[in-house]
Amino acid sequence: MADQMQLCNISESNFEQCTKCSICTTVCPVAAVTTDYPGPKQAGPDGERYRLKDPAYYDKALKLCLNCKRCEVACPSGVHIADIIQKARMRSSEGHRASLRDTMLANTDLLGTVANLVAPVANATLGLAPTKLVMDSVMAIDKHRTFPAYSRQKFTTWFKRHAAKQQDDFGQHVSYFHGCYVNYNFPKLGQDLVKLLNAVGYGVHLLDKEQCCGVALIANGLYKQAKRQARVNADSIRKSVNTDHRTVLTTSSSCTFNLRDEYPAVLDVDTSDVRDSIMLATRFIYNLVDEEKIKLIFKQDYKRRMAYHTACHMQRMGWQLYSIELLRMIPGLDLVVLEQDCCGISGTYGFKKENYERSQEIGSVLFKHIADAQVQAVTTDCETCKWQIEMSTGLPVENPISVLADALDVEATRQANNIN
Amino acid sequence: MRTDTVIMGGGLSGLTCGIALAKRGQRVTIVASGQSTLLFNGGSMELLGNIDGTPVTYPLETIASLPEGHPYRKIGADRIASLADEAKQLLLDAGINVEGDAAANHWRVTPMGVAKHAWLTLSENLRIDDLKQLPARRLALMCIRGFFDEPNSMLANGLKELGFEVDKHEFTTDEITKLRRSPSEMRAASLAKRLSSNNALQRIADQVNSLAGDADMVLLPSVFGMSDNDSYDILKNMVNKPLRLVATLPPSVAGSRMQAMLRHYFMMLGGNYLMGDSAVKGTLEGDRLTTITTAKLGDMPLRADNFVLATGSFISRGLVADYERVYEPVMGLDVDADKDREQWTRFGVLEPQAYSRYGVTTDATLRCAKQGKTIANLRAIGSVLSGHDTVKMGDGTGVSLLTALAAAHGILSDK
Repeated sequence: MADQMQLCNISESNFEQCTKCSICTTVCPVAAVTTDYPGPKQAGPDGERYRLKDPAYYDKALKLCLNCKRCEVACPSGVHIADIIQKARMRSSEGHRASLRDTMLANTDLLGTVANLVAPVANATLGLAPTKLVMDSVMAIDKHRTFPAYSRQKFTTWFKRHAAKQQDDFGQHVSYFHGCYVNYNFPKLGQDLVKLLNAVGYGVHLLDKEQCCGVALIANGLYKQAKRQARVNADSIRKSVNTDHRTVLTTSSSCTFNLRDEYPAVLDVDTSDVRDSIMLATRFIYNLVDEEKIKLIFKQDYKRRMAYHTACHMQRMGWQLYSIELLRMIPGLDLVVLEQDCCGISGTYGFKKENYERSQEIGSVLFKHIADAQVQAVTTDCETCKWQIEMSTGLPVENPISVLADALDVEATRQANNIN
Repeated sequence: MRTDTVIMGGGLSGLTCGIALAKRGQRVTIVASGQSTLLFNGGSMELLGNIDGTPVTYPLETIASLPEGHPYRKIGADRIASLADEAKQLLLDAGINVEGDAAANHWRVTPMGVAKHAWLTLSENLRIDDLKQLPARRLALMCIRGFFDEPNSMLANGLKELGFEVDKHEFTTDEITKLRRSPSEMRAASLAKRLSSNNALQRIADQVNSLAGDADMVLLPSVFGMSDNDSYDILKNMVNKPLRLVATLPPSVAGSRMQAMLRHYFMMLGGNYLMGDSAVKGTLEGDRLTTITTAKLGDMPLRADNFVLATGSFISRGLVADYERVYEPVMGLDVDADKDREQWTRFGVLEPQAYSRYGVTTDATLRCAKQGKTIANLRAIGSVLSGHDTVKMGDGTGVSLLTALAAAHGILSDK
């Protein structure tokens, strides 16, 4: 009876466990810079008590939430504060249509497909002052922002033409969920992963069907579309894991977090059966090294000083350890691990005109720490953090996989792992 | 993942132990499930404040008379003085400016205006070494308009009872007025984040300087500096009179800063700090713990030569009580707790409560046990230990700091 009573009184979000200590509010990057946002405690568990009585208590200010999850990371009582806020936003959005701007920003794959076809034109046009002014005034996309450049060739096109055939020759195999950024904007990151894994004897394969993970769709309130895409991805991942026995690797912390945790928590798409087989490539590779299944040999003459930035969703997953420890294996890399501060972009949030100033103010603490660190470059597992930090500090930002691939002595590594 | 030592718990004791080990070249991983109770600390450490309701003036002399099971007795009364010096130095090295001496307690002032014994107090806070010789005669108590976290009438009355003359002034500035637009967030941490720029601090100093009159010390609530000492240092130079701060209701700015500085120091020494993760399972082989599984790292457990349990007491879930028993949730370690639920609590919230002395069972070297068998490479430190009483004895932070250092010494001498 006792067990029953305690168990029955715990919801999925654990919100009954909130002791009102307010610690979440002390770490919220939004509440720190604006009084328009009531803070995670009130927006989350406090407000939920009212909303349970009557949905009309929904507060529009909840759209200011970045969904950075720092409140959940800080909560000493295990309350899923940001999930409560996301779900409340989702319920209140039913029956409303997202604006053209939000739909455009959220559909990273549609936008990418079109832009790839006309990449030189798109890049030139999106970067022009008149275009930026039109986007600023008509679309409310802030003029300070530059869209990440689009690649002329999609990652998948490159892969099919130049890499796919060799992959079957390897003894071990993984699948790669490349995500929109690698596919449309920055194929080099995907190429770096293939280079790295091939050097240690792993073949890399695409999923049967990959759609945008939907992290931007969720953030912009396009839940139905997000659910549809989530189901397609879940099916492809299941086939890879269950039929082909291939772990699904990623190179973006936000895609990873979305596939593993937001699908069940926010979209009600259950991926629990394959959750353990979806992971960031750094975690997978670290574990192979740790278990002495592979060896990584780095260039003797590699020399660089870099700062590692823990992206918010990376911190929520708790996996920064793997990226940091892998990077520490590079003898010539002088790595500064930065304090865990939010960069302020939060996917598409910072692109919106109404959020621009807030976004930069949130990031200012991090930018100062980066300046103080006196580094040549920054490394982080999130592509939107990369855009924000590059724009705001002028320093180049690379994914840890690219840093590893760059520092790797490919020939020596192949030999050390007996790859012909 | 393998490191030399894995510490479960990232609060005061976990971080202190981690720093002591990392300074000696160990690779250390800390698993911290959320922020710690250090965020409820107003800026003082206590070694021993009371025994059986009687205030303790000279803690070092009194420790020998503590009951056998007290953590101080386990680590040895004769070692307390040197461990206390080492703890103070560690805090200073982390940038936490504390003052005080283990030989004789001083008084700190609570947000309610009550004087309580303390061992170390932040130099920015109001501290009284001798109640007969107050550090100032006349205080200008500067109250921020609309501020939630300081019951300033109670504080003023308390200070008067201690013998101060108190002039209470209310003030506001542009930044503070703007913050009042958010009805729920006139809290200490929110203020600290908005009052860190030179301009914001100058506006406060201007108000304080014009209102302070002939007071010989200015008191402000502790709302300066969430992660460093800069705000207070700048403000102190702008205010014309000696400036001291008073602790607020939690979450505390000084506590957040101490936590941030300790974590920063630990990470500077190369430590891994896994924020928002928690240990869920331990695997034993014979009398040794081999791995710890965490919620986030999942099927890749943490391996180490030594492990430390620093998960805190009931509030931090280092101990759990259900309808039938008190238990340690990660590994089901042996606990010192009454079996009979009737014995756990006593009627009257201010009465000494048995549960506040509950904790995991340890031997003289702080090693834990399961079903009566000692685990050779698992030590417990801080609030998860049995035999002390943070509320009634005023020994919580001291136990955290000193047992952390004792465990670190034990681990280093094992090798």
